[in-house]
Amino acid sequence: MAVWTILKREVYAFFVSPMAYIMLTAWLLLCGLNFTWLATYYASQPIGAGAQSSPLPAFFGGTTLFYLPILVFVPLMTMRLLAQERSRGTIELLMTAPVGDVSIVIGKYLASLVFWMALWVPTLLYVWLTSHYGDVDAGVVAASYLGIFLIGTYYLAIGLLMSAIAPQQMIAALLTFLALGTLFVLGVGQYIFDEYRDLFTYVSIWGHMESFSRGVVDSRYLVFDLSVAALALTLTVGVLHARRTEG
Amino acid sequence: MIEVQHLTKRYGSHTAVRDLDFEVPSGQICGFLGPNGAGKSTTLRMLTGFLSPTGGTIRIGGIDALSEPLEARRHIGYMPEACPLYPEMRVVEYLRYRAELKGVPRREIKGRVEAALEQATVADVHSRIIGQLSKGYRQRVGLADALVADPPLLVLDEPTAGLDPNQIRQVRELIGELSKNKTVLLSTHILPEVEAICDRVLIIHRGKLVSEGEPQSMRAEMASKQSVRVVGRGEVEAFRRCLEGLDAVRVVELKERGGDRVLARLETEDEDAVEAIFRAVAEAGLVLRELRTIEVSLEDVFTNLTTDEAAGSAGSDGEGDEDDEDDEDDEDDEDGEDGEDGEDGEDGEDGEDEDDSDSKERA
Repeated sequence: MAVWTILKREVYAFFVSPMAYIMLTAWLLLCGLNFTWLATYYASQPIGAGAQSSPLPAFFGGTTLFYLPILVFVPLMTMRLLAQERSRGTIELLMTAPVGDVSIVIGKYLASLVFWMALWVPTLLYVWLTSHYGDVDAGVVAASYLGIFLIGTYYLAIGLLMSAIAPQQMIAALLTFLALGTLFVLGVGQYIFDEYRDLFTYVSIWGHMESFSRGVVDSRYLVFDLSVAALALTLTVGVLHARRTEG
Repeated sequence: MIEVQHLTKRYGSHTAVRDLDFEVPSGQICGFLGPNGAGKSTTLRMLTGFLSPTGGTIRIGGIDALSEPLEARRHIGYMPEACPLYPEMRVVEYLRYRAELKGVPRREIKGRVEAALEQATVADVHSRIIGQLSKGYRQRVGLADALVADPPLLVLDEPTAGLDPNQIRQVRELIGELSKNKTVLLSTHILPEVEAICDRVLIIHRGKLVSEGEPQSMRAEMASKQSVRVVGRGEVEAFRRCLEGLDAVRVVELKERGGDRVLARLETEDEDAVEAIFRAVAEAGLVLRELRTIEVSLEDVFTNLTTDEAAGSAGSDGEGDEDDEDDEDDEDDEDGEDGEDGEDGEDGEDGEDEDDSDSKERA
């Protein structure tokens, strides 16, 4: 119940801020550019020449234009969650209400997942457009969106943790960007270090999307993402708890 | 309603609150008084569950607040220091959210929000965005928030800080009104506030309880001693010889003050001491310009308790001095606001300067 109350307020606060619309506009612009380039490229290829006839798999994780915005937008979406409450002092209202710390963290986290999906819903338009000019495999599309959702669970939980640690929003955003950037670069390790290849593949969202955008739902990624999310959320609850003790 | 035993809060090596014991019975307005940095906010934050204590026990309405924090928090309406709010929300939306968060049943929310808007006298701004409200309104929205779940206990951290004198009066009246069926614990560093609204006062200094009681009886305790102010013309030494020669009088302060004026502050337990002082000064051939007894205010009690302690405890004097300076600054601010608004009827109450105190007689 408290989770739902917190989730509602968080979503409300996000969508009344001009920031939300600036972000959505910038996001759609980037996605639109990416999609246009890919569509133009695939249209110029002779039929049957490439392995893929649709630009969709490439759109869902085939280019850096997919990943770079994620690395920037996730920090922007999660920075507010707890750091802003702290800098405004409203955290005191929240933490003295008859609500457990776990409910606070879950409510905020679910709200960030709502923002995340709000970024992606408009891209369904590209799927619809593509379906007019060729075959679209519904399974592949569903798997791609599942992959995106899972990346969200993984990255947003880290963003929330950073927002709990940081005293200010900008610091939270910076910490999240550094953390996600490091994880992303580590993902490249799969092409360098043979020994730990599996580990690097899990960490890498590039690896994630390569699998999901082909329509393959790899449960190992699923387990990895959900475990990281659970760990980060537990740590976030721990940070709130430590604040009560340490002041 | 509140029972606190051996409450202690340490931050590393710094002890913010040490071994605090007190009780607040139901139905009282209790004032928590102390200079800035005395540990008032820390204590209130422990009572409301925002901070966990290093040691001690807290019971709110008979519930152990440390083992059943959520249940205890249901009994409390809390307004933190500086009254933080979500500036992007509308007043009524905010209160609805808070009511829901505090577990008010869905069908009662509308009624509770309306009642809180009414009680805190913010019904007229219910659809305004909080960020656009004046400080006075925001403070009352904070009060409405504390009231919205109709808790038996209100904990208010400096509810009148930063308000102009009219707003201060409104908030005080409101608190007086609310206390009819609620227990109120409020913190302040403004003394007249305590005398104006509190049934009982707890004085805290450096994290320790230094005194508690009714404001009137605390004042009465001190009132057996009188303070006498003397302004005269002549040599400081001549005045010293003359005044120190009197048996019933103790010289607290004696200094030159511009030109050939001399200012003295004396302490006595003899009600008729002024007569003896007058006679002695006249006999010594000195000129007396002003002679009056000053009624002891709660401020004197407070100053006595919180500065003697500071001077007495060795080792951390620097910290104490800082506290006191902060306090003075704040009081100056208060006075400044009084001055700007001018028309306020409570000047005497808000004025912290001793010259504003009641004078029984003037020579």
